[in-house]
Amino acid sequence: MTATAQTPRRTATPDRTVTFRIKRCDGPGKPSYWQDFRVKVPKNSNVISCLQQIAAEPVTAGGERVTPVVWDSGCLEEVCGACTMVINGKVRQSCSCLIDDYAPADGDVITLEPMSKFPVVRDLWVDRSRLFHNLARIKAWVPIDGTYDLGAGPKETPASQATHYVLSTCMSCGCCLEACPQFNLEEDRDQWDSSFIGAHAISQARLFNAHPTGSELKPDRLDVLMGEGGVNDCGNAQNCVQVCPKHIPLTESIASIGRQVTLHAISKFFRG
Amino acid sequence: MRLVTVAPALPANFYWNRTVTQAETSAPNAGFMARHYFLLRRLHSLSGIVPIGLFLINHLLTNSSAAWGILASRESEHSGSWAMRGFEYFWKEVRWINTQVPNLILIEVALWGAIAFHSILGFYYAATGSVNTDRYAYQGNWRYRLQRISGYLGILFIFYHVATLRWGWTFLVPGGTQWSQDFAASTLAMVLRGGSSGITFAGLAVSLAYFLGVTLLVFHFANGLWTAAITWGITISANSQRRFGYACFGLGAAMMLMGWISIFTFLVADPAKVREVETRLGSPRAVAVQAGDK
Ligand code: SF4
Ligand code: SF4
Ligand code: FES
Repeated sequence: MTATAQTPRRTATPDRTVTFRIKRCDGPGKPSYWQDFRVKVPKNSNVISCLQQIAAEPVTAGGERVTPVVWDSGCLEEVCGACTMVINGKVRQSCSCLIDDYAPADGDVITLEPMSKFPVVRDLWVDRSRLFHNLARIKAWVPIDGTYDLGAGPKETPASQATHYVLSTCMSCGCCLEACPQFNLEEDRDQWDSSFIGAHAISQARLFNAHPTGSELKPDRLDVLMGEGGVNDCGNAQNCVQVCPKHIPLTESIASIGRQVTLHAISKFFRG
Repeated sequence: MRLVTVAPALPANFYWNRTVTQAETSAPNAGFMARHYFLLRRLHSLSGIVPIGLFLINHLLTNSSAAWGILASRESEHSGSWAMRGFEYFWKEVRWINTQVPNLILIEVALWGAIAFHSILGFYYAATGSVNTDRYAYQGNWRYRLQRISGYLGILFIFYHVATLRWGWTFLVPGGTQWSQDFAASTLAMVLRGGSSGITFAGLAVSLAYFLGVTLLVFHFANGLWTAAITWGITISANSQRRFGYACFGLGAAMMLMGWISIFTFLVADPAKVREVETRLGSPRAVAVQAGDK
């Protein structure tokens, strides 16, 4: 299983100029438009370092001086998820997107677009609030708040640790949502609770349901996941697992939550 | 020194200011679909397998018996020609279904109900998706898309198929053939050939529609069976999903083969000769002999 499809590494021409075709937008509700920027890329550049060059000298290929292109980023090492955007038509992190791979020859073109499933704040910067809201929907946390010291929690076995570690590496980047045909842009917050929750939240529900203390909230999570916008809304296209940069087995999580929800429904039927 | 904290005012409906959610979705004033969301989703999934999928397997087995019946039937008592043995076998199968299966009409109506339920909900659910195979041309994504296309076209085909052969809407049949259960094979051959003489272009068009319809519906069933195992949480690991995928592929391939063989068998059959066999089998004496066989 490969994550984002990458062009195989070729020897890149040194001192080449690469064109960045960027889908821009001046603010929420404003129309989008495309602009080209030509950037002289040093060896080992990535998309963010090129965006920094564009910000320093925001002149389009046509010679017009424009407002700098806005983007979001944080860690610059593919662990925070903030810099996620659509590069050459596919979603991925821009900080780890190496120009030597994507545009090895002089004159190559790279297109940058903001993710389409989240509202654009400006240019390449989107508002991922819904992604975090959906984590709150399924209470993706371990409940340890109390009025007294709860003491040490139950032990985790190394075996369960091994299976669950990878689930914990989710960085809330949104790739799985951008590529999912069942997850659509929804700007109306009142619709969020009845719209598809997304593979990331389903996978986090699996992680916290498996946690000895986190499992206290399992019935709450499964109630949400069996409802409208829950795991049943998944159409099994399995794009999510293809694009997840952390190689999280999202489709296994979906099936696992499917089983938990099935059993939950049966037990609710008999126990009320 | 004075420290000043600058706290931005969060909108009242900012995500962590909102309490979760389930109370809202299962509120009594929520719509019928929302209140019974899980049940309807899972009934939709189940109805595709039982009864619809099971019926489809059975239906294809019966129809293809016109071909494999050549091997299964004993030395013919009524006609010497081996090519006709398949049609004899098929005739007996159809006769058995129409005379021995109890409450046939109830079964049929229940089946139509299940198909209506499955397709109406299917349209509703399919409307929640958006196609993106252009950007993410993964095999799984194509299957997701094909599952919806085959649903849309499949239900059109089922309607045409049932309306023309069961409800007698002969104006939709080139040549105007009226299908009848006593002459099931010969009338079906006439439907697929476009009349009682040679194969016409209109007949070929009908046959092509049958070919596409059967192919799409079998795909829809096999792929739906595969995804249902994920939805219900039966196949969890990627390996088990892959293994079950092979099983569904095998089942689907076998069913497609049955469907294609059936269409081919009836398309190349000579309606006049088949009708002779059927007339002989349907004569009071033959029916009596058959009853005595039992
Ligand atoms: S599951 Fe993967 S793709 Fe989805 S948000 Fe987490 S890290 Fe990103
Ligand atoms: S498997 Fe489900 S969650 Fe993943 S991309 Fe497909 S529809 Fe979306
Ligand atoms: S900046 Fe954190 S993932 Fe790219």
